[in-house]
Amino acid sequence: MDNSTRLMDIIERSLTGERMSEADFDRNSIARGVKKIVKKYDLKFPKDSVINNDIELADRVYQAGLELLSESGVYSKDTGRVIRFSKQEIEQIVRNAPSTLTFGKGDDAKVECAQDLENPHTMLQSGGPVGSPIPEEYYMSCLTAYMKEPFIDTISPCTAETVRGMDVRTRSPLEIVACWEETYKVNMIRKLVGRPGLSYGGCEMSVSEIGQLSAAQGSQFQQGDTHTFGIISELKTDNGILCKVAHATMSGGLPDPYGNPIYGGLGGGDEGQAVLIVAINLALIVFFQGAACGSSPTHPIYFNCTSRNVMNYTSVGFQALANNTNLMTNLVLSPVGGPMTKTLLYEIFAYDLMATYSGISRMYGPRSATGAISGHFSPLEARFSGEVMRVAPSIGREKAEELVQKALDKFEADIPNKPYGKPYWEVYDVRTMKPTDEWLAMYNEVKDELKSWGFPIDQA
Amino acid sequence: MEEKYLTLKEAIVDGEVESGSEEMQKLIDSGIEPAEIFSNCVEPTLNDLGDKFASLEIFLPDLMIAGEVVEAIQIVAEPYLKAGAAEVVNKGTAVICTAYGDLHDIGKNMVNLMMQVNGFKMVDLGVDIAPKAVAAKAAEVNADLVCLSGLMMPSLPYIEETIGMLKGDSLTQNVKVMVGGGPVTEGWAINAGADGYADDAAGAVAKAMELVA
Repeated sequence: MDNSTRLMDIIERSLTGERMSEADFDRNSIARGVKKIVKKYDLKFPKDSVINNDIELADRVYQAGLELLSESGVYSKDTGRVIRFSKQEIEQIVRNAPSTLTFGKGDDAKVECAQDLENPHTMLQSGGPVGSPIPEEYYMSCLTAYMKEPFIDTISPCTAETVRGMDVRTRSPLEIVACWEETYKVNMIRKLVGRPGLSYGGCEMSVSEIGQLSAAQGSQFQQGDTHTFGIISELKTDNGILCKVAHATMSGGLPDPYGNPIYGGLGGGDEGQAVLIVAINLALIVFFQGAACGSSPTHPIYFNCTSRNVMNYTSVGFQALANNTNLMTNLVLSPVGGPMTKTLLYEIFAYDLMATYSGISRMYGPRSATGAISGHFSPLEARFSGEVMRVAPSIGREKAEELVQKALDKFEADIPNKPYGKPYWEVYDVRTMKPTDEWLAMYNEVKDELKSWGFPIDQA
Repeated sequence: MEEKYLTLKEAIVDGEVESGSEEMQKLIDSGIEPAEIFSNCVEPTLNDLGDKFASLEIFLPDLMIAGEVVEAIQIVAEPYLKAGAAEVVNKGTAVICTAYGDLHDIGKNMVNLMMQVNGFKMVDLGVDIAPKAVAAKAAEVNADLVCLSGLMMPSLPYIEETIGMLKGDSLTQNVKVMVGGGPVTEGWAINAGADGYADDAAGAVAKAMELVA
C-alpha cells in the first residue's frame, strides 16, 4: 500500500471509528489498559541497572506494547472517535517500514540505519536545542554556531521568542511569519557555513499546523529535510496533527514524528512507561506515517530524561523495539543542567551511553536546561555529545553500564537543584560564535575525567 | 485515623466506588456528621495520597480512581450537609485549562486531579482554550480561581491576554489567577498579572489554598 493510500485509510478510520469520550479513552483505554497489560505480562523491572540486560523482559514489553496499541488505538479529539488498526495490520506495516533513511543531500547527506543491539554503531546526531526558546537578537549567532559544529549530522533549531520584535502567537499570522523566517534563516545559514545540503528538521516555530503547512514547501524545504511534529500524550491526535501528516505525505516529505510519555501520568510507573514507549513508537509509524519514530520520556517534576529510573525504562522500551523490529528510533536528550555546569556534561555522557546500548539510531539535542529556559543551551555541549556518541560503540555494554553509574554518582544529587547554568550569550562570544575560555576549560576538564575513567573520548 | 473510618479510607485508596458510597452512607446513618467524616477521614486520606503522588510513590491513575470515589461519596453526603458545612467539603470553584494553541494536557490533568482530591470543585475546560472562552466560563460558574497551564512559548501571550480579560471584567475581576507550565517562571507570572505561580502539582494545591483562603 503506498503512503497516500494509507493516509486515506487513516483519515477514513478517524471518521468512522468507535465513538468515545476523551475522558473514557484516558481512563479506560490508557490508564486502566496499561495497568491491566503490565499485570498480564508480569512486568517488573530490576532496579539495580540502568541499561537493561534482560532481553527476554524487553521482548515481553514489546508484546505488551503491541497489544496495548491494538486494543486502545489512537484517539482523535476532533472526531471523538478511536482510530484502530488490528495487531496483524500493525505488525505488517511495521515489518514493511524502512530501516534506513537519507537525511540531507549531496556531500552533506547522512544515512540513518536501524540500530543493532548486539553490535551498535554510532548514532546519528540531530544536533541543536530542539525548539528551545532564545531572544530573537541571539538567534542567528546561536544557530550559526550550532551549524558549524562538524559532528552535527542534521540540524534541529532553537525557536526565536519574538518575530521582528513581536511575541509569536500560535495559530495566528505571526506563526506563519515566524515559520517562514525560520526556514529562510536556516537556508541562509546552511549556505553560509558551507553545508548547503545539511538536513533540517522543522518547523520548530510551528506549534499548530498553520506555520508548517505554509512554510514547509517549495524552495523553503529541500530534499532530505524532515517534517517534525509531536502527537498528543498519550496516544491522541487531532485534525491539526493529521493535517501535518497529510501535508508531509502528499508533498513527498519525510515525516519525523515524536510522542512523549510522561512518567507518573496515565501510564503510571516505570513498567507502564516502557509499554507506552513501545505503543507510541509503533503508532508513530502506523498512524502517523513516520519515516522514523522517537520519544522524549520525561520526568514530571524536573522535566528531564536523565533521572535514573527514566533512563532505565527508556532503555527497556527501546530495546524492546530494537529486538523486535527494524525501525529507526530516536530520543531527545533533555538534561536538567545547562551550560557552564558539569552536571550537564555528565548527564549527556550517561544518556548517550544508555541510548547507544538500547537500540537508538539517532539522538536529538542536547536540549539543555530541559529546553524551557530562555537561551540556556550552547553548541559546545552538542560537540561533547557528538564526541561521546562516536566513541560509545567501542566500549561494550558492561563498561557502558559501569560508566553510566559513575556519571549518575556525579549528577544525580544535583538534579533537584535544577542547575540551569548560564545562557548562550554568557558562555559564547556572540560575535565570533566561540565558547568562552571558562566554558571550554570546564568541557576539557570533564573530558579529561572521562579519559581517567577509561573512556577514550579523544579518539572521537 | 480512628478505626471507624478505615473501611472508607481503604475504599478511596483502592478506588472502590461502590463500597466507598456504601460505607459513607453507613457512617452517616450511624449519626456522624458528613462534615466530620470529610475532616477526619476523606481529607487526611486525600492529603496522604497527594503527598505520595508528589513524591511519585503513586501515579496519576491512582489519583484518578481515588477522585472517582470522592466524587461518589460527595453525592451521598450532599443531602445531609447542613448550611455552611458544604464549605468544609468544597474549598472553592476553580476553572482549569491549557492555554490557546497548546495541546499538552498531562501536567494540567495532574494539577486538576490534585486540586479535586484536595476539595476544589474543578471545571476542566481541556486544552487549547481561547481567552474569551476561559473568561466566559469563569463568569458562568462564579469561579474563585482560574488555573492556566502553558508549555509552549507562543501560547504565553494568550495566557497574558486571558488574565487581562478576567481582570478587566467586573464579573471576574476578583477571580484569582494561577499559572504554571514549562516556560512559565514566577517573574513572568507576576509581570503577566497572575496572582500565583506553581511549578508542580503539589505546589499548585498549596498556592490555590493560599489564594482562596
